[in-house]
Amino acid sequence: MGCTVARVVVLGAGISGHTAALHLRRLLGKAHEVVVVSPNSKWNWIPSNIWVGVGKMTTDQVTFPLAPIYKRKGITFHQALATALYPEGSPDMQSPHVSVKYTEPARLNETANISYDYLINATGPKLNFAATPGLGPDGYTASVCTAPHATEAAAQLAGVISKMKNGERQRLVIGVGHGTCTCEGAAFEYTFNVEHEVRAAGVRDMADITYLTNEFELGDFGVGGMTFSQSGFETTSKLWTESLFRERGVNAVLGAHVEKIEPGVINYEQVDGSKNQLGFDFAMLLPPFRGADLQAFNAIGEDVTSEVFAPSGFMKVDANYTAKPYEEWRAEDWPSTYESSRFPNVFGVGIAFAPPHQISRPRTSPNGTLIAPAPPRTGMPSGVMGKTAALTIYDRIKMGPAATAHRASMATMGAACVASAGTGLRHGSAAAMTMYPVVPDYQRFGSTGRSVKDTFGEIGLAGHWIKYMLHFAFIYKAKARPLWYLIPE
Amino acid sequence: MDEAKANIAASPLPTEQTLRRRKNLVFQAWRFAALNLRMLTMITKGSH
Repeated sequence: MGCTVARVVVLGAGISGHTAALHLRRLLGKAHEVVVVSPNSKWNWIPSNIWVGVGKMTTDQVTFPLAPIYKRKGITFHQALATALYPEGSPDMQSPHVSVKYTEPARLNETANISYDYLINATGPKLNFAATPGLGPDGYTASVCTAPHATEAAAQLAGVISKMKNGERQRLVIGVGHGTCTCEGAAFEYTFNVEHEVRAAGVRDMADITYLTNEFELGDFGVGGMTFSQSGFETTSKLWTESLFRERGVNAVLGAHVEKIEPGVINYEQVDGSKNQLGFDFAMLLPPFRGADLQAFNAIGEDVTSEVFAPSGFMKVDANYTAKPYEEWRAEDWPSTYESSRFPNVFGVGIAFAPPHQISRPRTSPNGTLIAPAPPRTGMPSGVMGKTAALTIYDRIKMGPAATAHRASMATMGAACVASAGTGLRHGSAAAMTMYPVVPDYQRFGSTGRSVKDTFGEIGLAGHWIKYMLHFAFIYKAKARPLWYLIPE
Repeated sequence: MDEAKANIAASPLPTEQTLRRRKNLVFQAWRFAALNLRMLTMITKGSH
């Protein structure tokens, strides 16, 4: 028997959470309430922040206010930060609820408790700049993780290009600012967009451009690399990426953990234990991610945070979290329903769920430093997870809590990624890639871990057109325009 | 020369034909259609 009246609360309004909320509102009757709690007043199409970061788009082109969309669609919106979960209720409030603190200016710092029948945790990453001293906009490096950060990065880049035009050679370093970062694909994109802009400005010969990464090999992208079928041969993403680096004259520092950043100097350790420095005039280094700072308490107010969340702050779901060596990792370790391992009416999706382990082989330096790309949760899988949780909740509201959960494991899910390598409808390019599955399954696909037929990469102008098209398509979808749900996640 | 630098230096460069194809409007229009179809096929795999 289903619920007559249910309230579903979605924490977070990024790709995963916003997708979940829109689908829930579309599917559920008006008797049921869909609530979104997000500290941000705007939605951001993050993949296009790269273009904001090179001055080719503005913040307004990659963001829009959430409140009018939610009002139009009949979704209750709280511009607030979720601080604690009470999945069993509390001494003060019997029903399961989440505590929030408002970030909306009219209610700044007010707190409230919002009850729920179902909760989706789609809080995304906490940008952990603090993990590396000197990292980030409050330190000495730029970021493209948010639209405002990317705007600052573009201004710094313009300053560096100006210096090069005045005859000053400049050192540009782009990559990741910690040994456990993810989103190497985004760092790769920004590297080649910067190279493209520097070349277009006519000062390429004045720039030393270096890609600094925790990947052991180029082309790893945090997914252990890929094998493509090309011209009758199997080729690796390593070779394919190295070719692009050679073609565009970009240097690479691999297997690096950034320890500390000082003005103009990046201090890093590599997998072999060596410690080095890299001077820079402009640096964009992505931060590592943590989960949002959410706590959890049981019915009598005892802290059960460690039962609900991993030490990383990401939510434990239906994954196999048994610690085991790389050789024993399996595709089945990965979650598929995204239900909390502790509470069946709570889901963790997108970047908010705790992965069972990395995808790429982790490495530790002789000094004991972990240098291991964290698994990426890109836009497409994140949107699919949000929709999957929404469909499960819809079924349980309609048919009862025993309704079978929908499934979408990254080990059985394909992904399409487009990594821009420079803008321009006539002169841009991008690397368009597909991989199936995202998480390699060596038992099913043998030594490559993936279907070679369905794993593919190609560089060209068409890739740029696709990324540009996706920019408009996904903003149309996120604004819930007519027939938005026909655009796949 | 470190290993990353050596690997990059030894990697193959695209041919002139490949470089032309990457920017040829007619060829890339066909690739746009083909890549979209490939991506659409990918998107439909795996979730249920």
